[in-house]
Amino acid sequence: MAQANPLAARSPVRTLLTRLAPTLAFCLLVLLPGCQGHDGPRQGQVTVVFKHGKIAGDPESFARLIARFEDLNPDIRVKDEPLPATTDEQHQFYAINMEGESSDFDVLSMDVVWVPEFARAGWLRNLSDVLPPARRDSFFSAPMTAVTYGGNVYAIPWYIDAGVLYYRKDLLEKYGFAPPTTWLKLVRAASHIAKMEPDMYGFVWQGKQYEGLVCNVLEYMWGNGGDVIQAGDVVIDSPQNREALDFMKDLIFRYEVSPALVTTSIEETTRHIFGNGRAVFMRNWPYAWTIFERPGSPVRGKVGVAMLPRFPGHETASTLGGWQLGVNAYSEHPKEAERLIEFLTSYESQKTLALTVGYKPTLKSLYADPELRGAQPFMAGLYEIMEHARPRPVTPYYMMISQVMQPEFSAALAGVKDTEEALASARRQIQFILRTED
Amino acid sequence: MNLTALRNFKFLIPALAALSLVTVYPIVYVLWLSLHRKLLIFDISKLVWLENYRFLLVDTRYWNALKNTAYFTGVSVILELLLGLGIAVLLNRVFAGKGVVRSLVLVPWAIPTVVSAKMWEWLYNPDFGFLNYLLGTSINWLGSPFWALNAAIFMDVWKTTPFVVILLTAGLQTIPKELYEAARVDAASAWQIFRRITLPLLKPTILVVLIFRTLDAFRVFDSIYVLTGGGPANTTETLSIYAYKVLFQTLQFGYGSAIALTVFLLVGMITVFYVRLLRGGIEKAACP
Repeated sequence: MAQANPLAARSPVRTLLTRLAPTLAFCLLVLLPGCQGHDGPRQGQVTVVFKHGKIAGDPESFARLIARFEDLNPDIRVKDEPLPATTDEQHQFYAINMEGESSDFDVLSMDVVWVPEFARAGWLRNLSDVLPPARRDSFFSAPMTAVTYGGNVYAIPWYIDAGVLYYRKDLLEKYGFAPPTTWLKLVRAASHIAKMEPDMYGFVWQGKQYEGLVCNVLEYMWGNGGDVIQAGDVVIDSPQNREALDFMKDLIFRYEVSPALVTTSIEETTRHIFGNGRAVFMRNWPYAWTIFERPGSPVRGKVGVAMLPRFPGHETASTLGGWQLGVNAYSEHPKEAERLIEFLTSYESQKTLALTVGYKPTLKSLYADPELRGAQPFMAGLYEIMEHARPRPVTPYYMMISQVMQPEFSAALAGVKDTEEALASARRQIQFILRTED
Repeated sequence: MNLTALRNFKFLIPALAALSLVTVYPIVYVLWLSLHRKLLIFDISKLVWLENYRFLLVDTRYWNALKNTAYFTGVSVILELLLGLGIAVLLNRVFAGKGVVRSLVLVPWAIPTVVSAKMWEWLYNPDFGFLNYLLGTSINWLGSPFWALNAAIFMDVWKTTPFVVILLTAGLQTIPKELYEAARVDAASAWQIFRRITLPLLKPTILVVLIFRTLDAFRVFDSIYVLTGGGPANTTETLSIYAYKVLFQTLQFGYGSAIALTVFLLVGMITVFYVRLLRGGIEKAACP
């Protein structure tokens, strides 16, 4: 076995995986209801396969957008194929297929933290020419940073997400509080109102051991002037970060404004609690807004959205989320794929998606669009929040670093380790990972 | 090897080929991978021999996962066996509606694990959860380092006891009724009957149950993945979950394979241990 050539041993598996994955994907596609069939390609036409997650809301509007692209580009047919349901599975899908050098899809939609990783692996086409430096300023800076690796652009931001603070307008007014700008003000308002109102939690957020926990913790660290990596140095155990993490623990145990259940909560858990009128404040992504404003929602018309609070003397910061579009490096139709990406990230397409399915645009100018502002009044407030969005560490090692941060943050919040110990242990492990490449 | 044996061997070749394709090849391939430092994203693939295993020895997260796995396996299998045995003996009696009860017992086993895990996630919810409502407590079942793994065990016991019951019921029915009648004639107590007749004759079935359950529990993944994802603070992270995270979330195929291979070896050792026991058990049962 020692003499066997590893490459020779690997290739059959690679080939098998590459062949099997589309078949499996196809089976899923057939089983899933609501996939629209497009006409097969005619002579001289090229088919571009677009992989993306489930489109929130009405799928019809997205189909119409694709149809418009096909009208404008008669030489291209678009076949859109859904990705698996969870982001973990989507990441896995890409990893397996790209490792097998699959050319079965051309355009990929990617979570913001994957782009440097995929770029480093050589799985993405360099899109620097598609988005020349002069046009990069029209996008928010945080997603632009996240899609840039080694000075080149590897994906174009499609829609953006950032952590926001939801609050109960009616309750704050009733007890004479303004939307809090610092964390201590939030604690004061939350504990007062939660005491006065029956069956009411102060502040809910996402503290289960998963990626969302990292998003939450980073917002407190950044809002206290801390960071994970600064100029190549791992600074995750800085005093600012310790203070930030201690404060999160205090929210549960000392101030008692957050129930213990936040340590098992994900976005939807907290959305249900807040949406049933059982919490004064909630940290979540902007998607929840449209759900709260639906007819029949117990909190309809009572919800306000604000920037996340900060610690005194520091800037507020929201964790950047959202999805980016890139071109498969092994694609047989890269030029056509680029045209589809240009179309989908254009002003008009982003506007359509914002109006129909509520995707938040990555182009700054759209937040001043009169039609969009008329339809969604909170767009104005979102602009400032998106301006304060920050990407999680932009490094190809992000997935590994996150795997270190998740259990350590969880250990600190659950009281298994003290904060200092957890952060020091995280620093050692991250330093070890960053040394991997040499 | 004489000529007939050789000729007979030829007929085995298709079966052997199929087996090697689906079991031997993957295992050897994983072994081969585990000797590499293989990071997909960096296109690194270097033969490092036992480097991954050396790291495994000092990787506290690995030992923590092993400890969790052992605890989960030990506690859940013992509870399932005891409960299953009790229920099977009860169900083996003749009573009205026996068929209905027997089918009802199977319900938890019939629900797909991921679905029941989702269901239990809600039952365990500290705020709206039925369990806290029932007990009048406000325990953060899945969020506390002490309760989380026990909560996962509880769900596993709920889900797999029916499987144990079914196997043991089948075993009970093979015990000849005459033995019980003879014992009653001899005025043996219920406990004596259970201890001297039921238990010894059920031993082979019990061992089969133990093999199935231990191996399943040792590789537990889906229920815990849904319930806690390994949290809080990795207190519910089992070997399978750790291997999954290393393999598919951080794409370290070398180290991930090393972890997976140790799971395979441990499972193999458990199997050998049980098969030995089983052999002894059958021989004893055959000639008491």
